[in-house]
Amino acid sequence: MMQSLRALLYKEWLDIVRSYKLLWMPLLFIFLGISDPLTNYYMEDIFNAVGNMPEGFSMTFPDMTAETILLASTNQFQSIGLSVLVATTASMISRERQNGQGILLYVRPVSTVQIFLSKWIVASALAIFSSLVGYAASLYYTILLYGTVDAVGAIQMMATYSLWLMIVCAICLLCSAAFSTAVAICVAIVCVPIGVMVDQLFGTYWHYSPYKLATYGAEFLTKTSTYFMATCMLSISILIVCIVLGIFFTKKNRQRVKSEADR
Amino acid sequence: MITAKNVTKNFGHASVLKPLDFSLKPNTITALIGPNGSGKTTLLSILAQIIPSTTGDIQLDGQPIQAAHIGFLPQYPKFYPWMNGYEFLQFVGGLHRMSKQKLRTRIDEVLQFVGLADVGKKKITTYSGGMKQRLGIAQAILHEPKLLLLDEPVSALDPMGRRDMFQLFEQLKQTMTILYSTHILNDAEQLTDQLLFLKKGELIAQNTLEQIRAQYREEQFAITFLTSADATHYAAIFEGEVVGNTLFISKESGQTMPSLMRYFADERADVEKLEVRTTSLEEIFMKVMI
Repeated sequence: MMQSLRALLYKEWLDIVRSYKLLWMPLLFIFLGISDPLTNYYMEDIFNAVGNMPEGFSMTFPDMTAETILLASTNQFQSIGLSVLVATTASMISRERQNGQGILLYVRPVSTVQIFLSKWIVASALAIFSSLVGYAASLYYTILLYGTVDAVGAIQMMATYSLWLMIVCAICLLCSAAFSTAVAICVAIVCVPIGVMVDQLFGTYWHYSPYKLATYGAEFLTKTSTYFMATCMLSISILIVCIVLGIFFTKKNRQRVKSEADR
Repeated sequence: MITAKNVTKNFGHASVLKPLDFSLKPNTITALIGPNGSGKTTLLSILAQIIPSTTGDIQLDGQPIQAAHIGFLPQYPKFYPWMNGYEFLQFVGGLHRMSKQKLRTRIDEVLQFVGLADVGKKKITTYSGGMKQRLGIAQAILHEPKLLLLDEPVSALDPMGRRDMFQLFEQLKQTMTILYSTHILNDAEQLTDQLLFLKKGELIAQNTLEQIRAQYREEQFAITFLTSADATHYAAIFEGEVVGNTLFISKESGQTMPSLMRYFADERADVEKLEVRTTSLEEIFMKVMI
């Protein structure tokens, strides 16, 4: 049992190493992480240099705190970061099934649980690692340019965001297990990045939703959110449901593996 | 001994496999023959447990067969292009829970056996079609299965590649039962112990090559002339059939070899060749299938 899981994990690991995902995903999150502290800090200089503003033009910039900058970085991860994560994760199961690579895997004595979990573990680990280095880069410039933040709060923020990323990966893999690649990516994009947007627009009407995890996580820097524990419990339940459904659909569609994929 | 009992497969309302019963003896090679769309790949996929059968079961020595006892080579094996051959076999061995030391010696052995020892550490993207097919064999036999299933293993290969592949099968036969599908009958003729003829999902003949030959064999005289005019001329006399310069006369005509030789010698006909021809497997195939 353990040995086949280890073989599957090693294969997924080789995949992200050889396809350079292990390199560019963290780089993307680092870029997203440093963009907010830097652009906000140098906004005035940037305007002066390239703005072509008329003589006598003046503008007041709000005083940003370290906490608002980190929240802005989180929002960057939530929009661009998640879109890229969804596009790469939502094809992990369906692609193997469609292009025929899966057949040499599905004839082995491996359980569907192992196949699904190996992909979820590696995808989540990569996403969490990327977000951690992204936050680290953001924190570095935020502390340098705006002052210190509460260390415990920062750790709580990153841990909460990691839980959210685990849910995102589970949703993507569930879509990939249930649908073909194209449909899976569409459904996952509606569920995750668009879901986040909808929650940001209309989210004032409810308090308990996994989409709010990232916001509640960032709130740890200033206060403790009243709704955090309940949201956390709800999110973990949703995570478990997604994993169970994902395993179910992987098993159900196992026989749909193409034996005569395009040559 | 592998036995399949009452195996059927329906896709929706379409019945792809009619009830099939057959058995494969240990250390034999069986060819699964049938035209395209006859259900060969479906049957192999069921045996390999990739898709479930609608009814029936497959047993190995009286026990339901398990994935661990099966080696399978699909028609177009697809590998992960970013792996090398050695890594792929390591992956496969891990899935079969082989111990590290065992796996290391076994991979070397298998790569040697299929002739990929030199390129084991090269990326699979750089492999030619024939090399991929060899790697396909390697991954199918790595865990020493009891039943080796091969879907059109030689159809895409050149004559050299085919000969090499059959040499491998001949050796593999010592330790396992082999079932392979093909539509190239010369191949089937070469080293097959048993033939299964599949037509529209039905098993219409199942026998050894000799028995099938004996069952369908028909001998006829073939007389090749220098000109087709001669062939047509004598066809009228013997009530034979003409193909090109050759006249075919059925054995039922009561002629014998000496009588024909004497006749044409007396006629001073321009005979190039006179022989008795037995039905080829190709002709039997056409006869069985139509």
